[in-house]
This record gives sequence, structure tokens and C-alpha cells, in this order.
Amino acid sequence: MTEKKIKNIFVNGAISSAFIADSIAKHSSKKEIGGHSIFLGQVRADEIEGRLVSAIDYTAYEDVALEQMHKIRAEIFEKYPLTCMHIYQSLGTIKAGEICLFVFTSSSHRKPAMHACEEVVERLKAELPIWGKEIFENGTHQWKENK
Amino acid sequence: MEIEVISFGKIAELITTKKLILDFILDTDDFKKYLEETYPELNNIKYKLAVDKQIVQTNCKLKDGSVVAIMPPFSGG
Repeated sequence: MTEKKIKNIFVNGAISSAFIADSIAKHSSKKEIGGHSIFLGQVRADEIEGRLVSAIDYTAYEDVALEQMHKIRAEIFEKYPLTCMHIYQSLGTIKAGEICLFVFTSSSHRKPAMHACEEVVERLKAELPIWGKEIFENGTHQWKENK
Repeated sequence: MEIEVISFGKIAELITTKKLILDFILDTDDFKKYLEETYPELNNIKYKLAVDKQIVQTNCKLKDGSVVAIMPPFSGG
């Protein structure tokens, strides 16, 4: 099962809890679903050498990232019996405590949704050309690197 | 030949040039060598290239007008 159209995953700014609630509500009409799995990435106020992270500024090589995500999406649908999958990644400045990543998978039974959700998060972090610049309270910055 | 350069993340702070006119550069291995000689700091940064929006896995040919992206390790999510 491959979707032909390349979907956008990028949103400008933080992902609001209202948007997340609304996404959940939209699935009530899909009665074949028995389980959802949701991952929310939140900007952490890391302390690095005495400096506190106040925000992360995200940029991406958008076309390439979307192309890559399209491929990952097709592979995940191939691997797991999912009803649907939604992915949102923030761009721009996201303050500590705000949500910057929202991955939402649904299936008839819980396990495929849970496994697919984890796999998408891991692959997104490793394979998509997106960069986070950690901005400290004192105005300095450093570039984040995913572990 | 003329290469269009896009750089990202911390590499964008290092390489600000948008266009390079390069002779004697045929492929991405040559291009990397050129980059690392011109910007020695790159020797201490892991990076990947994308040519015309394709992430480079093995050495590939460059042509006049190629768009080369220089990408440090990813940190999305």
C-alpha cells in the first residue's frame, strides 16, 4: 500500500494541545480502529555547562525530508496493518515545554499502532534532514545532535 | 562548471557561499576534498551531501548546474 501524493509533515511553530485533541476526535468516525498510539516530542530545558535551553529553532531541507518521509511511510504501511498514520514536525522557534513532534498511528489492535509509532519516531530522527538549534537563555546557541 | 551550494545547520554558519565556479571537479569525492581544503573546520564535522535532492550514498558525478546540499548530522524530532 503506497500513497502517491507526498504529504506535508511540517507545521510552523509549536503543536497545540487543541490541535492534538482535534486530531484524536476526528478518528471517532473510523470504527474499525481499536487502538491509537501517540508520541509527543517536547522541547526540554536542558542545562549545558551552566546554560539553560530556552527554545529550539528547527529548520529542514524540506523537499528532501518530505521525500524521505514518504518512503518511510510506505515502508511502515507495508510492515504493519495500520488504519492510519499522521506525522507533524514543527519548524521555527519552539519554546521549552512546547510540543515539536506529534506522531499518531492507529490500528484495529494495539500492537501494530504501538510498534509503528516507535519505529516512525526513530526513523524520523535518524533519516530526515531536519536540524534543531538550541537557544540558551543568555542568547548563545548550539546545534543539537540526535543520539 | 557552476555548482549551486545550499548548507544547513551549523555548516550554514561556516559556508555562506551560494555559488561555486569549479574546474577540475568531476564528482562528489572531488567536491568533498575541495570543501575540506577550503573549510578545514569540516574535517571535524560529520556531514552528508545531497545532489539535486538525492542524498549521496556513494561517489557520484556532478554536472554544470548541480545543486549540492551540505548537511550536518540530523537533529529533528
